[in-house]
Amino acid sequence: MSANFEPNVVAFLCNWCSYAGADLAGTSRVNYPSNIQIIRVMCSGRVNPLYVMNALQQGADGVLVSGCHPGDCHYMEGNFYARRRLGMLKDLMEFVGVDPKRFHMSWVSASEGHKWKEVVEKTVEDAKEAGPFEGFRRRQIDW
Amino acid sequence: MKMDLEQLRKTAAEVAAREEVKYLVGWKQGTYGYRVAPAFVEDAAGAAELIFSPLCTANLATYLTLAEQLPVPRGGEPDDRKVALMVKGCDSRAVTQLLVEKGIERDEVVVIGCPCPGVVDAALLAEKYPETEEPAEMKWDGENFLLIRGGEETKIARNEILAEKCRLCRYPNPVVSDIMLGEEVETWDLAEDEGVQELENRDVDGRAEYWAEQFDKCVRCYSCRNVCPLCYCQDCILDRLNPTWVNRSVNFSENTAFNIARAFHLAGRCIECGECERVCPANIPLGKLNRKLAREVRDKYDFEPGVDPDAEPFQASFKPDDPEDFIL
Ligand code: SF4
Ligand code: SF4
Ligand code: SF4
Repeated sequence: MSANFEPNVVAFLCNWCSYAGADLAGTSRVNYPSNIQIIRVMCSGRVNPLYVMNALQQGADGVLVSGCHPGDCHYMEGNFYARRRLGMLKDLMEFVGVDPKRFHMSWVSASEGHKWKEVVEKTVEDAKEAGPFEGFRRRQIDW
Repeated sequence: MKMDLEQLRKTAAEVAAREEVKYLVGWKQGTYGYRVAPAFVEDAAGAAELIFSPLCTANLATYLTLAEQLPVPRGGEPDDRKVALMVKGCDSRAVTQLLVEKGIERDEVVVIGCPCPGVVDAALLAEKYPETEEPAEMKWDGENFLLIRGGEETKIARNEILAEKCRLCRYPNPVVSDIMLGEEVETWDLAEDEGVQELENRDVDGRAEYWAEQFDKCVRCYSCRNVCPLCYCQDCILDRLNPTWVNRSVNFSENTAFNIARAFHLAGRCIECGECERVCPANIPLGKLNRKLAREVRDKYDFEPGVDPDAEPFQASFKPDDPEDFIL
């Protein structure tokens, strides 16, 4: 991989914790890599595995899903479902040959601006290591 | 194995004749070669055609949800008669899983259990013993299969043509049944799941290469979905246009997304009947995906689909202590 490859990372953040956490990082002037594209969803439990597939198909090199810590979910248990489903998805993707470095999940609360920075740094670094995602990216067909 | 055909047909005729039973679904001889066709039996004449042999690979549980639900005519009564169903061990797990998901209710089915000593892989059989036009019969004979064709009997070693799903089968005896035909069979030593292990031993690029070649072949016929007893969503993501969850174009990218989505939707639900792989015209080893996920579910989450009718659906439940070592 060229050393200056800058990955695209798509992050699905839950409205109540992780999005607020990222917001806090911003208002507290914490510096973190700008490779991340944030998409706000109401709950991590709302993240359909096909969102992850679609992000990878459409040009993401890495995907992050982040929600509230277990027990803190605004909807009581959404993140528990997310943990189970996306854990399975991670296993499945690894089995079909998607580098596990491309998909991460994290718990970041509204007060964890600094944890958010660490999570982003780790995700971006991993995506960088894994290199540009060629796998099953959607290709434009030249007729 | 003494599966008594007389007894089977007699029982079937008796069940099909019941007032409360709409029809009975079983297996009958197909029109040629090793084919076996589903039989929808309403009377004794139909019951006389039924068979249960090593060629009865098909999982008939899929007809429970595949049957067309006609609208009730105005002023008419809904037909709430039961459907009787012949099941092997694996098929019975599909029934249980349908009960768990409330795809069917227990009082909508009469389950006729057939303890199963293992069925053959018809493709493998045809490779070694080419199929002829004449319908062939098959029997269990101790540790062998007996192929009967044109008055000639051929003994074939069990391990030579046993279906892959049967090599790995942990439930040869039906887990749910109203009537049990014959005696329970003894479970056998399980084979190692070499297909999955071999892939697990590769590095991630090796696996990517393997699956790229496989998914590239997919023609998106959706046979794997249609045959699956547990793919019965009225509103399947694959048919949806708005939003388009899975693009319809047939190319490697969409095929991969589709195959991952299908496997994922069956995670914690697939009961490993192997039907998807059997019907796939492109010979994609879908069973490897299913079995890999089933094993993860079993090992990491201590859950097994289709054995306990009172279980909670895997993906619609959680435990507070589910593994989360992968979370940052
Ligand atoms: S049966 Fe095979 S070819 Fe058809 S859609 Fe399924 S995986 Fe693709
Ligand atoms: S996914 Fe395949 S093996 Fe699993 S239940 Fe459906 S048809 Fe059977
Ligand atoms: S592929 Fe998914 S949405 Fe479609 S029928 Fe199967 S489980 Fe339902």
